[in-house]
Amino acid sequence: MAEKITYSICVGGPVAIHTEDGVIRRIRPIIFDKDDPPGWVIKARGKEYTPYRKSTAAFIALTEKNRAYSYDRMRYPMIREDFVETPDGRNRNTENRGKSGYRRATWDEALSLVAREINRVQGTYGKESVTAITSSHHSWGLLGYKLSAFARFFRMLGYTQILDNPDSWEGFTWGAPHTYGYYWRLGGTEAFDLLEDALQNVETMIMWSHDPDSTRGGYAAHESTMWRHWLKDMGVQFIYIDPFNNFSAVKQADKWIAPRPGTDAALCEAIAYVWLTEGTYDKEYIEKHSHRFDEWAEHILGKGVDRKPKTPKWAEAETGVPAADIKALARRWASTKTMGGSGLRGGFGGVCRTANGTEFARLMVQLFAMQGMGKPGQNIWAGTTGAPMDYNFWFGGYSDPLAQIANQPVADHTAVNCVTQKLYRPNLPDAILDGHYEWYGEGFCGGGIDQEFTRHIYPEPGCNKVHLFYRYGGTFMGTMLDTNKWVRMYRNPELEFVVNQDIHFHGEARFADVILPACTNLERCDIGEMCNSGNGGYQSHSQTGNNWQIVVFQDKAIEPLWESRSDYWIFSHLAEKLGWGEKYTEGRTEVDWCKRFWEKSDLRDKISWEDFTRKGYYIAGVPENWERRYGFRWFVEGYPCDTPNHKPFQEEGKLGTFTGKFEFVSESLLHWSPDDEARTPIASYKHSWEGHHSIRTVKYPFHLISPHPRFDYHTQHNSSTPWIWEIPENRKYIDGNPYLIARIHPKKAAEKGINEGDIVLLFNERGSVLCVARITFRVEENTIHAYGSSGIYNPVNPGEPSMDIGGCVNVLTPGRLIGDKVPGMAPNSALIDVCKYEGPIPKGQGFEHKLDAVARTEDPQVETCEEIIRGHGFASIQKKIRRRFLSKKEATVK
Amino acid sequence: MRLGIAIDSRLCMACYCCFTACKDEHCEHGTALSAPQPMMGHFWMDIREWERGDSSRRIKTATVPTPCSHCQDPACMKAAKDGAVYKRPDGIVIIDREKAKGQKTIVDACPIHAVYWNEELSLPQKCTLCAELLDDPNYLSHLGDPKLKVPRCVEACPNKALTFGDLDDPDSEISKRVAEGRVTQLEPLMGQETNVVHLNVPTVFLAGTVYLPEEEEEVCIGAAVSLTCEETGESWETKTNYFGDWEVEWLPKNKTIRIEITHGGYKVAHYTAKTENDHYVGMVYLEKE
Repeated sequence: MAEKITYSICVGGPVAIHTEDGVIRRIRPIIFDKDDPPGWVIKARGKEYTPYRKSTAAFIALTEKNRAYSYDRMRYPMIREDFVETPDGRNRNTENRGKSGYRRATWDEALSLVAREINRVQGTYGKESVTAITSSHHSWGLLGYKLSAFARFFRMLGYTQILDNPDSWEGFTWGAPHTYGYYWRLGGTEAFDLLEDALQNVETMIMWSHDPDSTRGGYAAHESTMWRHWLKDMGVQFIYIDPFNNFSAVKQADKWIAPRPGTDAALCEAIAYVWLTEGTYDKEYIEKHSHRFDEWAEHILGKGVDRKPKTPKWAEAETGVPAADIKALARRWASTKTMGGSGLRGGFGGVCRTANGTEFARLMVQLFAMQGMGKPGQNIWAGTTGAPMDYNFWFGGYSDPLAQIANQPVADHTAVNCVTQKLYRPNLPDAILDGHYEWYGEGFCGGGIDQEFTRHIYPEPGCNKVHLFYRYGGTFMGTMLDTNKWVRMYRNPELEFVVNQDIHFHGEARFADVILPACTNLERCDIGEMCNSGNGGYQSHSQTGNNWQIVVFQDKAIEPLWESRSDYWIFSHLAEKLGWGEKYTEGRTEVDWCKRFWEKSDLRDKISWEDFTRKGYYIAGVPENWERRYGFRWFVEGYPCDTPNHKPFQEEGKLGTFTGKFEFVSESLLHWSPDDEARTPIASYKHSWEGHHSIRTVKYPFHLISPHPRFDYHTQHNSSTPWIWEIPENRKYIDGNPYLIARIHPKKAAEKGINEGDIVLLFNERGSVLCVARITFRVEENTIHAYGSSGIYNPVNPGEPSMDIGGCVNVLTPGRLIGDKVPGMAPNSALIDVCKYEGPIPKGQGFEHKLDAVARTEDPQVETCEEIIRGHGFASIQKKIRRRFLSKKEATVK
Repeated sequence: MRLGIAIDSRLCMACYCCFTACKDEHCEHGTALSAPQPMMGHFWMDIREWERGDSSRRIKTATVPTPCSHCQDPACMKAAKDGAVYKRPDGIVIIDREKAKGQKTIVDACPIHAVYWNEELSLPQKCTLCAELLDDPNYLSHLGDPKLKVPRCVEACPNKALTFGDLDDPDSEISKRVAEGRVTQLEPLMGQETNVVHLNVPTVFLAGTVYLPEEEEEVCIGAAVSLTCEETGESWETKTNYFGDWEVEWLPKNKTIRIEITHGGYKVAHYTAKTENDHYVGMVYLEKE
C-alpha cells in the first residue's frame, strides 16, 4: 500500500498524517530528523536543559482522524425542510429552527439561495442588515481560518461585524490595563525569556486559578509540561489556588488552597495586609514605581471608606481559607523568589471570568508589583510561555494583519468593510430579541484603554437592524453563556435567514436554514505556524509557549469527504454567485495563496518553496547564544525596553498607564469611569452579584464553576470523538448518551443523597443539565465543578429551552456582563442546585437527532442509524459510504 | 533481546496522548498480528487512575498507564489452547488472531485485566507493543534512524513518562531508567518478570498540618514529625514546612503507624494512623507546655 505522509496543524498542535490509498491511516506527532536544527540549551543550577526532539500533540490533535470521518460530519449542503423562501422574509417557520429536519440540496441550489437572500436582505434593508461571526478556534491555517478567507469575504460584502469578547481572560483585559498598562497585550504580561529566568532563579510558583496541563498555553499542546517537571525536580514549590484541585495541581501541587469561588480578590487583599503590616514588600520598588500606593494601603489597613481592615481573619470568613494558611502563603511569597499568576496565554484561569474578575486581575498585578516584579525570579510568569526563540524570524500568526488574505501584502487589494454598525457577541441574543442594545467597548480593546469606553448603540443611528445571520465555524452553544437565550434568538422571526457553515453538526448548526458543509484542515491546503496567534491584538510571540518554532505546509492529506468543501472554496463560489468571484480570489488557488504567505514572510529567506512543500515543515532554530530579553527587566533596571513587544510608542521606562507607573488608584478609571461599581478606582473585593451573599443562595446554594475544558478544545472534539467519552474524568457513556462529569464534595453529596456515578440534575431558573456525579475531595465544599465548552449540546426537546443531556452547563450560567461598563462575561459566577435525577431520559438521542440531518435523507439504501451508532460511524462505514458516493459522481457547482 | 516499556507514573500527567495514539493505531485497523480493535470498550493502553487522600487538605491522584505487561512467563499463554498465545524472540507476547478465537479464558487469565474480549469477533485482544510497526522496515524509514521507531504510545508521550527499548541491553535508555528508578511492580504481578516495567507507582502517604494554639492563627513551621511502625520497626522523620504541612510518602501498606509531633515549648502530640489508604491525619493544634 502506498503510504503518504503530510503535515498539518490543529488547535492541539502540529501533526503528521499518514494516508493509505486516500484514506487517513494514522495521526502522529512530528518527530524531527537529523536535518532539523538543534534545540536550545538552558544552563541553570548546574544542569543543562534542552527539549526533546519532537513536537508534542495534545490528545485532541491525535483524534483528528475521527473528526474527519466522524458520524456527525455535515456531508451535503442542506436546507431546512420547512423553510419557505418568502419574498418578504416573513412566515418562514422560524419557530421550528432547532427542531426541523433537513433536505439535501446541491451546492448550486444552496449557494444560489444564500446569494439570493444576501441580495434581498441587503437590497431591502441595507448592507448592515447582514451579520456574521466566526467561532474561536475550530480550525487552523492562515488561509482557511477566520480572519483570512472569512474576513475577506465579509469585508468585501459589507456587514455588521460582531465584536468578540475576550472570553478566556475577561478580567485581564478589562482590569489589568488600569493598573499597569499592557492593553496592547490585552492585560497579559510579557514572558520573553522567563523560562530561563525561572529555571535559574525561581523558588516558589503561585499557580493562581491556573491549570497549565489542561489549557496547554492555548495552542501549545504539551510543550511546557517538561518545564514544570524540571522546576519541580529542582525543589521549586508549586502552590495552586483554585476551588477545583485541577489536573495540574493534583499531580504537582505542594499545596492546594481552595477559596470559595469568586472570593479570590479577598484573598489578594489579605495577602497585601500581611505584607503591609509585616513590612515584607519591596518598599524601594514601590516608592519608585507606584502611584497612590498609600491610599490603597490605607484601604487595606482599614483606614479607607469602608473602615474594614482586610485581615486574614476577615478573608477567612469570605474565602473559607484558614487565616493561618493565608499568613503562611503571604510569608512564603514574600520570603522567596516567586513567580506565578494566571491570565491569557499564561493560563486562562476561571477567576478572571467571575463578577470580581477585573478586581482579581488588578490585585494580582499589584501583589507582584509589591514583590519587585521584573527582578530575577520575580515576575508574573505561569510556566507556559517564555522559551527561547529567534525573534528575528517572522512568520505571521492568524491575527496578524500582514498575514491575512483579507489584506495587503498577501492580497493585491485589501478588503475593507463599508459598514460601521457593530454587535457584541455575548449580547447578540439580547440585541436581536429586544431590537436595541447598548454597551461599552471595542471587543478586545488592544488599541488603547480608551477603547474600553467607546459607547455602542445597536442599531446604530441611521442603520437598520440585522436580518441575515451567517454563522461560520464551531458552535457557541457550549461556549457562550445562558444558552437558552441563544435558542430564543434563533426562533425569533427578526432573523429572516440563517446560514451555518461548519464541519460538524454541532449544537448550533441545527438552528440554520441553510447548512454549508466545510471540510477539515486535513482535506484542504493551508499554511501556518504552531501556536502563533499573531500581533493583531492578541499576545504577540505566543510561540514562546513552544520548544520549537514550527511552520507547517498544511498539505491536503485527503480529498474533501462527501460533498464538503474548503471554506475558501465556499466563499469563492458564493462570491461568484454575487458577481465578484474574481475580485475575491484575485485569480489564486489555495496553493497560490499558501505560496504568497511563504513569499511575504521570512520563510522565503530560509527555505525554498519546493523544499518546504516537499519536507512539509520548517523549524526556525534558536541561535546558540541567543540575545536574552527578559520580560519586564527593562522596567526594573531602567534601560530602554528591549523586548520584542509590539507596544505603542511611549516614554522609555514607563508603563502604559496614565502615570507610567503601577497605579494602585487607577487614574484611567477615575477619568473614564469614576462611578463604576464593578471596577472601582481602588481595586477591591466586592460581593458577587451572583455569589454566596446573594439572596439566591437560599434557592441555589452551590457555586458552579465551568473552567476551560481539559478534554476538549472549545466544542470541537467531544461531539465527534466517542473515544473521549471513555475517559472516566470526562464523561460516562450510558444508554447511548455520553454524560458530562460533575464534581461534588463528599460532604455535600451525602447531604443530597447523591452517590458516585448517579445521574444528577444541575439546575437553576435558567435551565437544567443532566450530568453524572463524581464524588471527590478535589472540589471546595460549596462548589460544583463541570467543565465548560462541553462540546455536546443535546436538549431533550430540540429547539426548546429544555433540559440538556449533553453536558452544556452554560445553560446555567448568567448572560449578564461583569458590570455596566465592564463588558466581560462571568460564567464562574453562577449559583445552582443539584439533585439526584430519576426521571425519564431518551436513549441515544444525540445520534438520532444528528442522523436526521446527515444520513437519513441522503440515500434510502444507507446503513441504518443503528448501524452507524453501533460502530460510531468511523472508518470502515465511512469508507463504504465514500466509495458509493464517489461511484455516483460528485454533484458540483459548475 | 527483550523489548519493553518503562512507565514512570510520576511523570505521567494523565494527558491521554498514549491512550488516543493506541486507539488511533488499532481501532478498526487489523494486521497479521492483531484483529481490529473495536471503536469503543477496549483499552489496550489503559490509564488507571485513583484518587489519593481522604480530605481536601491533601489530595493527589496516581496515574498508571497500563498496557499488557508482556510477562516473561505469561499467565495468558498458559491458559491458552493450541498455542493461541505465543512469545516472540524479542519478548513481545502476541495473541494469535486465528487460533485464539473463542478462547475467553485468555481474558480471564490476565492478572491485571489487560486482555479485552471482542464480542463481535469472539476474540481476546490486547496490546501488541505495535510489533507490526516495529517489524515493518518501511515504517518511518524516512527519519533515517531506526531508534526513532517506537510503539505509538511511547511516541505520543509528551513528557517521556514512557521509554521504549531493549531491557537485555544494559546500555539502552530503558535499562538505565529501570536501574536508576524506583521499580514498583503492579501488585497482581508481584514477583514476576515483565517487559513493561512500572516506576514510581505510589504506595501510601500520611500527611497532616500542625498549627500553634488555635487563637494564635499561625501555622507551626519546623515541628519535628516522627513516624514509627512497630510491626516492621521502620521509622521516618520529617519536619513541617512553611505551611505547617508534613507528609511522608512510600509508606508500607496496611500497617499501624505511630506519629509523634514535637515542637519546643509545646506539648508533644501523639497520633495513630493506619496505612490502609492514603490519609490526611488532620489539622493539629499544639498546646502550650
